Amino acid sequence: MEEGKFSPEQSLALIQSMIDKAKDSAADDSFYFLLWGWLVFAASTMQYVLRVMLHSPYHYLAWCLMFVGVIVSTVHGYLQHRNKKVRTYIEELLNNLWIGIFLSYVFFGFIFARLGWQNCYPFFMLLYAVGCFVTGRALKFPPLVWGAASSWILAIVSTFTSYETNMLLSALAILLCYIIPGHLLKTRFKKMHAHV
Amino acid sequence: MFKDLDPILHSQLRLAVVSLLISVKEAEFTFLKEKTNATAGNLSVQINKLKEAGYIDVVKQFKENYPQTVCRITPFGIQAFEQYVKNLHSYLSVHIHPGPGKDREPQ
Repeated sequence: MEEGKFSPEQSLALIQSMIDKAKDSAADDSFYFLLWGWLVFAASTMQYVLRVMLHSPYHYLAWCLMFVGVIVSTVHGYLQHRNKKVRTYIEELLNNLWIGIFLSYVFFGFIFARLGWQNCYPFFMLLYAVGCFVTGRALKFPPLVWGAASSWILAIVSTFTSYETNMLLSALAILLCYIIPGHLLKTRFKKMHAHV
Repeated sequence: MFKDLDPILHSQLRLAVVSLLISVKEAEFTFLKEKTNATAGNLSVQINKLKEAGYIDVVKQFKENYPQTVCRITPFGIQAFEQYVKNLHSYLSVHIHPGPGKDREPQ
């Protein structure tokens, strides 16, 4: 960058271009949506198959897949943190939001283990929606907000349906809330970086 | 009324650095270098000037045995940047939309 006199118009243009460059440095947020989306989708459908079709008493073991998510997320998060050259306020806010949501899942796990799992799915769907809604609004990405809206609606619907059907509704909610918006977010990230 | 532009900020590289830092929480020296396309030497000099003016905080630390410089804007720097942008706008409004009678042709 050349030093020297420059006009106020050039100053404003420079400020704008630097703010745009800082925006372009945002990380690819789709990774966690796709990872957790596919894992929850697989666990929900697997549990349905084990319980309804194979009549296995160990249908709940399908949720052991979540441990894979925890390990992969921890390793990916560590590597991302290590290679990061810039930190934004929005990333920090969203990190804290998702840590809070993760802890809520853990506590829900404890609560439903004590009270029974029959009514767990509407609450899980509410948590899918909260994370997606806040992230969608923060990143100005409407597919996440629409995904959150569909998950809220499915949470209400699941109060009228059986525990077994709710496994499939959970898979549908995660498809609309995490997987489809996650793929769209990845495409947006690739497009943004193709122009840089 | 137009006020003089802050000479610390009215420099291309220093303004670029502050504009980047205003949008993020903190950034490494290498990030600023990459985004501004400046040389390490020049960037280092300008960062020191901003630091001396109290506009940014600079933390030098080690990350995996390599030196790392992290910069973040201070509240005073944010205030100075906001004032600079206000002054720019007032300058541009005076020059682009001059007051009544200034540029009028004599009748």
